[in-house]
Amino acid sequence: MIDIVRAEWTKLRTSPGTLALLVGVIVATVGVSAAASACSGTGCDADLPKLGLTGVQLGQAVVAILGVLVIGHEYGTGMVRVTLTAMPRRLHVLAAKAAVLAAVVAVAAVPAVAGAVAVSQLMLPDHNVVLRPAVGSVLYLVLVALLALGTATAFRSAAAAIGTILAVLYALPIVLAVVTDEEWRDRLRRMGPSTAGLAVQATTADAVTGPWKGLGVLALWALGALLVGAVLLHRRDA
Amino acid sequence: MITVNGLRKRFGATTALDGMTFTVDPGRVTGFVGPNGAGKSTTMRVILGLDAADAGTALVEGRPYRALRHPLRHVGSLLDASALQPGRTARNHLLWLAHSQGLGARRVDEVLERSGLQGVARRRAGGFSLGMRQRLGIAAALLGDPPALMLDEPFNGMDPEGIIWMRGFLRGLAAEGRAVLVSSHLMGELEDTADHVVVAGRGRVIADASVAQLLAAASGDRVTLRSHSAEASAVLAEAGATVTRAGDGVLSVAGLAAGDVVAALHRRGVAFSEVSAHRASLEDAYLELTRDAVEYRWESAS
Amino acid sequence: MTAYLRALAAEWTKFRTMRGWVAAVMIAAALIVGLGLLPGLQGSCGKHGPGSECVAPVGPGGEEVTDSLTFVHQALTGDGSVTVRLTGLTGELPGEPGKPRSGLVPWAKAGLIVRGATTQGATYAAVMMTGSHGVRLQYDFVHDVAGRPGGVSADAPRWLRLTRSGDTLTAAESTDGTAWTTVGSARLSGLPATVEAGLFVTSPQHTEEVDVGLGSGAMGGPSHATGVFDRLALAGGWQGDAWKTDVIGAQVEHGGGAGGPGGAPDAPVAGGSVGPAAGRVSGAEREGDTFRLTGSGDLAPSIPGAAGVGVTITSTLVGTFAGLIVVVVLGAVFVTAEYRRGLIRTTFAAAPHRVRLLAAKATVVGGVTFVAGLVAAAVVVSLGQDVLRDNGVYLHPASTATEVRVVVGTAALLAVAAVLALAFGTVLRLGVTAITTAVVVIVMPYVLAMTVLPTAAGQWLLRVSPAAAFALQQASPAYPQVANIYTPANGYFPLAPWAGLAVLAAWAAVAFAAAAVVLRKRDA
Repeated sequence: MIDIVRAEWTKLRTSPGTLALLVGVIVATVGVSAAASACSGTGCDADLPKLGLTGVQLGQAVVAILGVLVIGHEYGTGMVRVTLTAMPRRLHVLAAKAAVLAAVVAVAAVPAVAGAVAVSQLMLPDHNVVLRPAVGSVLYLVLVALLALGTATAFRSAAAAIGTILAVLYALPIVLAVVTDEEWRDRLRRMGPSTAGLAVQATTADAVTGPWKGLGVLALWALGALLVGAVLLHRRDA
Repeated sequence: MITVNGLRKRFGATTALDGMTFTVDPGRVTGFVGPNGAGKSTTMRVILGLDAADAGTALVEGRPYRALRHPLRHVGSLLDASALQPGRTARNHLLWLAHSQGLGARRVDEVLERSGLQGVARRRAGGFSLGMRQRLGIAAALLGDPPALMLDEPFNGMDPEGIIWMRGFLRGLAAEGRAVLVSSHLMGELEDTADHVVVAGRGRVIADASVAQLLAAASGDRVTLRSHSAEASAVLAEAGATVTRAGDGVLSVAGLAAGDVVAALHRRGVAFSEVSAHRASLEDAYLELTRDAVEYRWESAS
Repeated sequence: MTAYLRALAAEWTKFRTMRGWVAAVMIAAALIVGLGLLPGLQGSCGKHGPGSECVAPVGPGGEEVTDSLTFVHQALTGDGSVTVRLTGLTGELPGEPGKPRSGLVPWAKAGLIVRGATTQGATYAAVMMTGSHGVRLQYDFVHDVAGRPGGVSADAPRWLRLTRSGDTLTAAESTDGTAWTTVGSARLSGLPATVEAGLFVTSPQHTEEVDVGLGSGAMGGPSHATGVFDRLALAGGWQGDAWKTDVIGAQVEHGGGAGGPGGAPDAPVAGGSVGPAAGRVSGAEREGDTFRLTGSGDLAPSIPGAAGVGVTITSTLVGTFAGLIVVVVLGAVFVTAEYRRGLIRTTFAAAPHRVRLLAAKATVVGGVTFVAGLVAAAVVVSLGQDVLRDNGVYLHPASTATEVRVVVGTAALLAVAAVLALAFGTVLRLGVTAITTAVVVIVMPYVLAMTVLPTAAGQWLLRVSPAAAFALQQASPAYPQVANIYTPANGYFPLAPWAGLAVLAAWAAVAFAAAAVVLRKRDA
């Protein structure tokens, strides 16, 4: 298992896009947070810690790319067969990929979220730094990456996987905004990976779901995607 | 040593493998030939644990591939030389493979040198020609210094110089005592390389024999003769040859050596021009085997 | 030209022979139709037996209107005028149930009105003092003419005058009763000889934006306003009847839970609405020459959104986003797939003019998504309306022209977005990056504007980003004289429909030009 983790780490480290994507996570998160913090007018002061973390909305897209590419690009090039020839214990390979990905995303997410908090603190000095939304945002990004990895493993196509992930992350909140039936909206918000997961950023009363419970919903999504991916990876011909 | 026993596999309505059985022994190059679709690649993928067979076993040193902890130390393989991420350098591609086998960077440099890639090791593999990718694939196969190697169509896309290099290289590997399995859809490519040949067709083994046996069994020597004389056929038949008409004024003669043909015709004063002796090749033997589509096999010499 | 057609035919063959691509188009269409028909929206119209159907009064222009006010009037035959002094305008906002707050909504109205009848939706012209928009002349629900700004109090009263001359009503105002300023005049075609004229007060729905956890929403409820009038003077053909008081569209006093138009608006708002004001009650009192009118409601076009009721056909197109993501994937992959396996070299060998090739690809992917989008949008807009009505949701009818624009606009949005994604794919060459870029650029501004960002930032994004093209789906116009939360979440966009498409098209054109340049300069 150590060898497999080491191999996957070498692979990720020597992939030319990785560094750019990790920098992208930081730039996207801090940049959009800064833009959102520049806001003035009604609604700006509703939930300042959350507003300062708006950039996570863009950062998650970059993180999803990274998660999808970790295995999706291997399917695209056919290199997955080289990988599975060298490391025939497929579930170990997926576990190693998940571990390496989670670590790398966490390493990028910490400065990204810290930067976003710092920038919004500079621009909106009258808000207190709250730890839970920041820590939760880091975990949120890690879980989105794992969700992307699981989906790409199941789909074996990077394009289909990223399309699905982005639809789930972005289209669901839009559908929610139009649904006026309270019961349906609450149900969907509690179940949606991004709507539930981002509840961890809220510092004002949010009746829909508790912050950690919401993150737990996202964790279940990620786990579910990884399990489906694992079963298919194990059973399918490569 | 690789042992394949009674492999069966279906993809939907198509039968890919239908009882494929053979062994790859150490110390020689085993050619694995057959027309496209004969099941060569599927067999190799089953051996490597990439595809699961519906029935039968494929064992490497007596163990299923997926049970090997560091499989590249037992069998090196090259299935598709283009199956790599183009953005990574050749050296880094080998480096992650080495790490997956618990090997270090030193071993990477060794195989780079052996496959003649040290000059381009730090270039992106995406910019490589097909021939260079084949060499990179060979380097990956050698990484674990395995006792067995398995190469799928390694001559594809190689220039003549590369083909010569590859032949020598494969013979060298066998000479070191390794078991080498090389697939090809052209028997001719293996003519001066393989010691032993497994001929596959429609998912099973049609022939499994040494090259010498195959050549001997191929219908013997023939002589081609140009003559417009009507007597020629009769004269040669009288001398004990089998004569078939191969075209206008062209006869194909079996059962008589070229010198005997000339002598017989000369004795009877039959006019002829152009006599050429024609030695059976491995290609002829292979074509005959696969054309007849008759299933028969030699008892293995080993 | 023939070379282009050849390239087009080749690309079309390439497209239709890829099962996955054809399936993607089907999936996009299915998502648009499926999500639109899901029973997500529920309402109460027609759900509580006969009489609970939602029927809105229709104004003279044929549009649906809100027409509820407190009206003190008598009949006027032929020409004449009415003058009054307004000495006070105060109001009450909804608060905690039973505890209304004092305050005046910006479009609270008190003044003079001439109506063709007392029935809802009748033609009218009115001159009024408003909560914070000064003096206005408004007529026939949709027309609004601004007069001088200012407020009104006992110390600074306003005189208002409304004069009828044939079909023409002229409004004037004064701060001292001697120096008059004309606000404007209105021609009301079909005004009967005898009209009802007099004083009116009304006060529209109060709405305020609130942040409710993940999404910003709105809350509010009915408000009341009270106007104090005196020095009422009549001239012309007045019949000399007694002043009669009518509270037109009076259901509001019962708590406004019907969910339908006709009365004062009932708020289908996020986060729950606050109960009706318990303090003031609509009606009129007279003390000598002083009239004190309290009213609630509005004289305005009926609009969907936080301050209005019901939804528009836009609501049936929720699935556009999901479909858009599929289409964007398709657009990007249509070109990046060629790079992945080196097919691009074969393609370039067969068609060496690369920009022409790109144009052919854009035509195929744009054309296919346009047709699929058109069919899906047409189906969901027509079937979705029935579903919503069956669910008891009040749906604002849209004119055929609007329906066609929404349907064709949705198809155009999908097609141009696909071309934009194709251009991204050409520049970036890696499908995943191209898809994400396209989705982030097109869909994310919309998501941010709808869910996270404060309104101002969201509106700005929807002006400059490709998401501006969603303006094509706006089915109901925004009226400046109606206080509402004109946000995308309520179906309103900052740009006009075709201007929105132009923004997206500009993005696509720039990206396409960049792709053409890159394609020409780069080795295959």
